[in-house]
Amino acid sequence: MTLASYANILTRYDLIGASEVKEIKVTSKDTVIQEIMQCVIEGDTDAIGGLVEKALINMDPLKVIDEGLIKGMGEVSRLWADGTYYLPQVIIASDAMLEGIDLCEAKLGKKMEKKGVVVTHTAEGDIHDLGQKIVNALFRANGYEVIDLGKDVPVDDVVAAVKKYKPLMVTGTALMTTTMTAFEKISNQLTHAGIDIPFVCGGGAVSNEYVTAYKLGVYGKDAQQAPKMISDVSNGFSWQELREKYN
Amino acid sequence: MARYDKMAYGSAAEMIFGSAKNPITYGRGFSVGAGYVYPELVPHPRPGSEKSQKSLVKEYEKMVIDVLDRCVAIGIPGIQIELEHVYQMTRNPTWGGEIAAQTKRLMEDYHRKYGLKSAIRATIADYRKPDEEKIWDSEALRVMLQSFEASAAGGADNLSLESVGGKEVTDYTIVRQDIRGVLFGIGVLGSLDMEHVWSKIVGIAKKHGATPGGDTNCAQANVAMFMAGGYQDRSVPHTFAALTRSIAAARSLVAYEQGAKGPSKDCGYEDPIIKAISGVPIAMEGKASACAHSDLVGNLAAACCDLWSNEAVEYHDMFGGTTVAVFTEILGYDVAMMNSAIDLGKAKDLQDILVASDKYRGMHGFILAPDNAYKIGQAIVANSQSYYARARAAAIKAGELMQQDSKLIMSSFEREALDSSMRTLESLPDKEADFISECVELYKKQVKGFEPKNYGL
Repeated sequence: MTLASYANILTRYDLIGASEVKEIKVTSKDTVIQEIMQCVIEGDTDAIGGLVEKALINMDPLKVIDEGLIKGMGEVSRLWADGTYYLPQVIIASDAMLEGIDLCEAKLGKKMEKKGVVVTHTAEGDIHDLGQKIVNALFRANGYEVIDLGKDVPVDDVVAAVKKYKPLMVTGTALMTTTMTAFEKISNQLTHAGIDIPFVCGGGAVSNEYVTAYKLGVYGKDAQQAPKMISDVSNGFSWQELREKYN
Repeated sequence: MARYDKMAYGSAAEMIFGSAKNPITYGRGFSVGAGYVYPELVPHPRPGSEKSQKSLVKEYEKMVIDVLDRCVAIGIPGIQIELEHVYQMTRNPTWGGEIAAQTKRLMEDYHRKYGLKSAIRATIADYRKPDEEKIWDSEALRVMLQSFEASAAGGADNLSLESVGGKEVTDYTIVRQDIRGVLFGIGVLGSLDMEHVWSKIVGIAKKHGATPGGDTNCAQANVAMFMAGGYQDRSVPHTFAALTRSIAAARSLVAYEQGAKGPSKDCGYEDPIIKAISGVPIAMEGKASACAHSDLVGNLAAACCDLWSNEAVEYHDMFGGTTVAVFTEILGYDVAMMNSAIDLGKAKDLQDILVASDKYRGMHGFILAPDNAYKIGQAIVANSQSYYARARAAAIKAGELMQQDSKLIMSSFEREALDSSMRTLESLPDKEADFISECVELYKKQVKGFEPKNYGL
């Protein structure tokens, strides 16, 4: 049985503004750089390698990185923020950008200086690490070095990694409420060791109420917040200020 | 391995809530799919209660008593309780076994005193790590199987699982909108893993006189669905998530080909397609699972259900009692309405209402409406030559249905996501061996930790 109209039953709010065409706003006069930028914006991982290698024959690797790869990724972030792009477009753009940066770094003979280090992990007993993988990709796309501890990580290993790498921030992901209890133990150990960095926790059943009940804890509602949070921390935000802004 | 090559139902019109072609009886006077819908309540322990066996067993005791008391208080004739294992219950098989035994004792007590019909489903946690270990020869799998044994010995009537085979590939490909990878991860790897694991679960169930229940593609298709989210989310296109769901139907079917009898798992949104093909009774969840997550199929999900579930609710106090009691009541009245419709001869009318509510709310509701679910089922059984062929056929059929219905309005972005995936699906090889060869080469390079040998490839 089909109704003539469903307007009395539901409203498709997702269609509001869906027909607007959002244009790409960044361009370069250099056609090679333009192609590389376009490649990142379209997430074309098949073509990026060839284009960057071609550019590196005559071009400074730093110019390729700054004016092509990073500028292209910046435009992708803008398109995501205004709702034109979905997450997959951001992820494949990040794949393309990082592939290009690897080639440039090989030519430079050294790694690019990163904006800072972030330690990420998924809680002990929890194998659901997709959220962590997404956050890792977004941190890397924004110029940060990620120490990826993986999933099902014991509390002591997280604390040891924080002591070793001295990150700007540490993150924890958990799907289940019965695994997220590890976060408070990590917080206690970090605090006991005099470490005072934000510990951003999110995923599945993790709640604002739970995370903000322990020291250092900042609740991460979704992965999209990750680049903004790390940018704030780079600019000097304490965990208390980060919590106040986002929670 | 034998695969379904015909439909259990002659048409979508035959499919209705409360009745399955192959009903199943277990527990204390409990029959599923025999002309009646029962509630299935899933209680979830509070954080911290998992710290010891004693504290967790106590937590479950309180929750189960609250559920059974509310059934008696408002006249619910019967209920299934799902003991959906938290990690600690599976990792320590005796914990899960003791909780099953305790639940059985309580249920027997209420059955004796009040005649309350009841059953226990134990769902073991699949904590294998497909990108880090040999998932068919791992300590995790050995412990999981011990946990099945302990739960069945303790008194679980129904054994179920949410298996994770292929998840390393789908986690990578869902967030890249790569339908080929999703087809490989769920349709091929997920099916092969289910074949391996379910042959063992069925054996354990037979040994203990328990019923092998079902499996859900929670670890993959629900990831896509929940990332697609609501109208304002921008993580995964809804059209892509719906294609993923149709592929999941071809995969979840493997449990029943291995001897599982149902009812299926509640979070397997692909289950209407499974019911159309296999005739097993199905558990579904919709609006009463809003306590655990949001979806766009709150009413429609009930259209063909045999058990009606809340997914999972954490144990806390509410004004109306504890959460588990409150959700028992919500489910109890929902099924009372469905059972009233059956007795009044109005079941098809109520089903029409449930479907009209959500069929055009989103892509998932559209493909899971009984008419479309049935057509996707037909595509699966018509392509039974391989796991790959039937999963691909399911996706193509779901895509065609979405492309061709003018009432299913979608944004240009959603349309492009659908059309792009359909172009990829159409371009794939016809033979499973060719597809596997292509995918093994591709994803060995791209997906860290993917090892084809772990799936016998």
